[in-house]
Amino acid sequence: MTPPYRKHVGSGARLSNVQSTQTQVPDRSDEVTGPPAGGPPPPVGEPPHRSSGRRWEWTLAGLLLAPNLVLLIVFTYRPLIDNFRLSFTDWNISSPTISWVGFSNYIEWFTRDDTKTVVLNTVIFTVATVGISMSLGLLLALLLDQRLKGRNLVRSAIFAPFVISGAAIGIAFQFVFDPSFGLVQDVLARLGIASPDFYQQSNWALFMVTVTYIWKNLGYSFVIYLAALQGRRADLDEAAEIDGASSWTRFRRVLMPQLRPTTFFLSITVLLSSVQVFDIIYAMTRGGPVGNGTTTLVFQVYQETFVNQRAGYGATVATVMFLVLLVVTVFQVRVMDKGSRK
Amino acid sequence: MNDVTRRGFLGGLAGVAGVAGLAACAGGSTAPASGGGGGQAGTAGQIEFWSNHPGTSKPVEQAIIKKFEAANTGLKVKLVDAGQNYEEVAQKFNAALAGGQLPDVVVASDVTWFNFALNKQITPIDDLLATAKVDTSDYVDALFNDYNFSDKHYALPYARSTPLFYYNKDLWKKAGLEDRGPKDWDEFKAWAPKIKAALGNGQVALEMADGSNYLDWYFQNMAWTFGGGYSKEWTPTFSDPNTIKAGQFLQGLAKDGTVKFNKSPEADFSAGLAACIMQSTGSLGGITKDAKFDVGTAFLPGDGNCPTGGAGVAIPMNISDERKANALKFIAFLTNAENTVTFTQATGYMPVRKSAVDLPAEKAFLEKNPNAKTAIDQLAKTRSQDNARVLLPGGGARIGKGLDQVAQGQDVATVFKGLDQQSQQVFDSQVKSKLPS
Amino acid sequence: MSAPAIVGTIDEPPTAPPSRRERRADQNRSESSSHNRGPLMTTAGYVGMTVALLIVAVPLFWIIITSFKERGDIYVRPAQWWPNPATTENYHDVTTRIPFSNYFRNSLIITGVTSTVKIVLGVISAYALSLLRFPGRGIVFLVVIAALMVPNQITVISNYALVAQLGWRNTYQGIIIPLAGVAFGTFLMRNQFLSLPGEIIEAARLDGAGPLKLLWKVVLPMSWPTLVAFSLITVVNEWNEYLWPFLMSDDERVAPLPVGLTQLQNNDGVTNWGPVMAGTVLAMVPILVLFLVLQRQMIKGLTAGALKG
Repeated sequence: MTPPYRKHVGSGARLSNVQSTQTQVPDRSDEVTGPPAGGPPPPVGEPPHRSSGRRWEWTLAGLLLAPNLVLLIVFTYRPLIDNFRLSFTDWNISSPTISWVGFSNYIEWFTRDDTKTVVLNTVIFTVATVGISMSLGLLLALLLDQRLKGRNLVRSAIFAPFVISGAAIGIAFQFVFDPSFGLVQDVLARLGIASPDFYQQSNWALFMVTVTYIWKNLGYSFVIYLAALQGRRADLDEAAEIDGASSWTRFRRVLMPQLRPTTFFLSITVLLSSVQVFDIIYAMTRGGPVGNGTTTLVFQVYQETFVNQRAGYGATVATVMFLVLLVVTVFQVRVMDKGSRK
Repeated sequence: MNDVTRRGFLGGLAGVAGVAGLAACAGGSTAPASGGGGGQAGTAGQIEFWSNHPGTSKPVEQAIIKKFEAANTGLKVKLVDAGQNYEEVAQKFNAALAGGQLPDVVVASDVTWFNFALNKQITPIDDLLATAKVDTSDYVDALFNDYNFSDKHYALPYARSTPLFYYNKDLWKKAGLEDRGPKDWDEFKAWAPKIKAALGNGQVALEMADGSNYLDWYFQNMAWTFGGGYSKEWTPTFSDPNTIKAGQFLQGLAKDGTVKFNKSPEADFSAGLAACIMQSTGSLGGITKDAKFDVGTAFLPGDGNCPTGGAGVAIPMNISDERKANALKFIAFLTNAENTVTFTQATGYMPVRKSAVDLPAEKAFLEKNPNAKTAIDQLAKTRSQDNARVLLPGGGARIGKGLDQVAQGQDVATVFKGLDQQSQQVFDSQVKSKLPS
Repeated sequence: MSAPAIVGTIDEPPTAPPSRRERRADQNRSESSSHNRGPLMTTAGYVGMTVALLIVAVPLFWIIITSFKERGDIYVRPAQWWPNPATTENYHDVTTRIPFSNYFRNSLIITGVTSTVKIVLGVISAYALSLLRFPGRGIVFLVVIAALMVPNQITVISNYALVAQLGWRNTYQGIIIPLAGVAFGTFLMRNQFLSLPGEIIEAARLDGAGPLKLLWKVVLPMSWPTLVAFSLITVVNEWNEYLWPFLMSDDERVAPLPVGLTQLQNNDGVTNWGPVMAGTVLAMVPILVLFLVLQRQMIKGLTAGALKG
């Protein structure tokens, strides 16, 4: 693969340091995947100091990280560990007693019919959401990065859906998708087409929920990409343009590599948040139609824990989801890091 | 030197983890060994009432509370916003059971009360009622006995509703039908062609809620009129030939386009898109306001086959006796004749006391609102819901899913057999062992 | 100590820091030169903008006009594209039927405090994870991200027990503190800090800047757009938080808007959707205003000030 475009440097003394050119500048993202073997290699460019400086750095790091870590451990990890424990039990959520059942919840989940439906719903939903909202977010950020009149207003409009809560959108979108009174039905009727019944047919319901979620969360990818675009190196682009590179080449070879960290970040966070969708589904379809037409993993956790009263089984589903996400994310992180190291 | 320091740092991290571990054990891990955590603590003389304000009843509840406090100096009631629907109240109550102060009174719906009772988290109130000298015979029998479990009552009826048959009088006239509801489902089937002939474009004869919106509640009426039902006591009866017949009847209606399923039939009905619907009495107020035509109400088709629904008020088990006694005073007051009239007139629920209909305020109201009278008269023809729906965890959702499948054309016998098996399995694993022998 | 390896070529020796006018001219020049891509691109830009605006705005428009419709005009066929008659009754209803100002105040307090705490913690955690060196850094980072994989349905019951035991039910701190841990922001800012040009950091260090000065004077100013994005997203998430505040609060003394607005709905009858939509619009407006204000902060600024020193 030819190295990204880098020839002249524009005015102003800048060292070309496009992120993806792997150089001898210490790649700090190394530390994500590499095990901390025998102390980190002497980093380049560090001012000379004695080992007490190293110790001081560790203390400082500890101080800076401690408050956040304590909060996360107490309020996120403690319940998570509790959840692991619960997944091996058969606990009715109102019951004062709890009984140990070993792996039977897991076996049940892996062998039940409805698990396939739930997993399939989650996969379809997630893949569609991640793919579409990230591409659209980038496209819109690029479009609105240009100096066009009225772009502030349009930026606010694109961000506005993200501002509304998922539950409120779920409720409000009945006026979009209702087969008798909704916006879609009205537009289709003017074109002479009958509106599909989004709420009664499983495939359409999943489509509706997916579209609603993408509409709502577009602003997230958009804003992150927009911020990233602000920090990019205009001089490189200029230089490439001067050299006669086409727009597409400039996009592929100059811009995209700079956006790699952002794309990497978004692919992880959008994936994680879309797998955990709940509010929109709860407000729009309650997981239906036909029982689990739009039930995804987190909704199944809610359903099993609070509706079917089986907190142990719900904990099992949550644990499976967590482990899958953990594996997927670690994999993503490693792939991204390998890709950025040539 | 470096090694020591690094070890020290890592040791620090481990220490944090250790603290968290201790926090997990000490700081209330879920599922306490017995009874719910700090349930004893409560403010003296204060009654905490957890309500979802069914039917947007917060102002009415506050008014009733004021009257109670005036009549009982020394007792204060704290009204807590416990959720936007019955499921959320149950969720909040379950969280409190796992560790936290318990309320004194909690709203429990037809599908959530039993799990609390079975797991001994709400109190049987018969003794408390006797001590407070409450005349329980004045409660509408079906409504009061809905909360009967092994000869003990676990809640008082509060916000109770039944389904009602609403019909569009104008369309009825156009179809040449008498101004009344069908007396049973056979008659409705006979009427259906006439209704359909009178319909315009985009209109449908009957609309019913779908499986995610309590079709399982309404369908009990159909199942019962055909002689079947979801269960007899604890035995699931979905595969009973009569129940299957009812299912096939519903499927037939769906196939020939007589019935359409919707998440909110009342919206379509009020807009004139459906000639008739089966909906909760709670929607009466809204429908009357929204409909631009004459709204007729009738008993559900089939005589004496109307299910009840809605919620009651219960008292948690693990609070002090003094708190229980005060709580009972409050719920007895909340559901007395005068207050049930005030409450139901403001919300559209059914008065829970027999003597309520004789009160002048109610008489005057019923004269002005004959449709409300239909609902109240139907109370005499109600029967308790089937165990498989209300007493088995997740019963409603399970049956709703099956009915959705039936409505979309799947083989009724197969679907219902599946419901039999699932219901039996849930009973065996979750309920049977906890039943008193 | 080996000299830092420098990549690429330096065409010109460093110059003195430019004056403000020079800087602004520079900014304008670089912005316009990379963006005057010719009429084709500009047209495409406008077309794209319009399409995006339509898709995004039409449902929004629908919500807004519903909030101005009378009850009888909401469920009609064909649908009304403009409220006729238009009424502000729904807004009046929202602000009087429920204690709207209480919920709003609570939302301001809860969102303000939680967001501030999260932003600060996110920045310092990210800094430690990107620019400080210590063993186990990668593991700690994974531990932080793993928190993003835990859905809140499974944390609430356990946290409820803990917080109730601390006696914090129906209090602001009971709502805020369990929400104050930040994983998303740490991830985002760490990413951002890692993408900063290494030589600027080295140069500052060589100049003798300590870690805190490095953070405040060098790293943060260069990360301003991303920091603003992080703040906005955090504020939105905290503003719309429902499940935890619902479990923790008893009434309007502490409950925020998302919890309070649900009282406009009728769970057993027919809801009047006009006030519900009005409530949604009212809840949206403050954050949009914040966005309009802050997005100017996200405009590209000259970030090389630190380099040219």
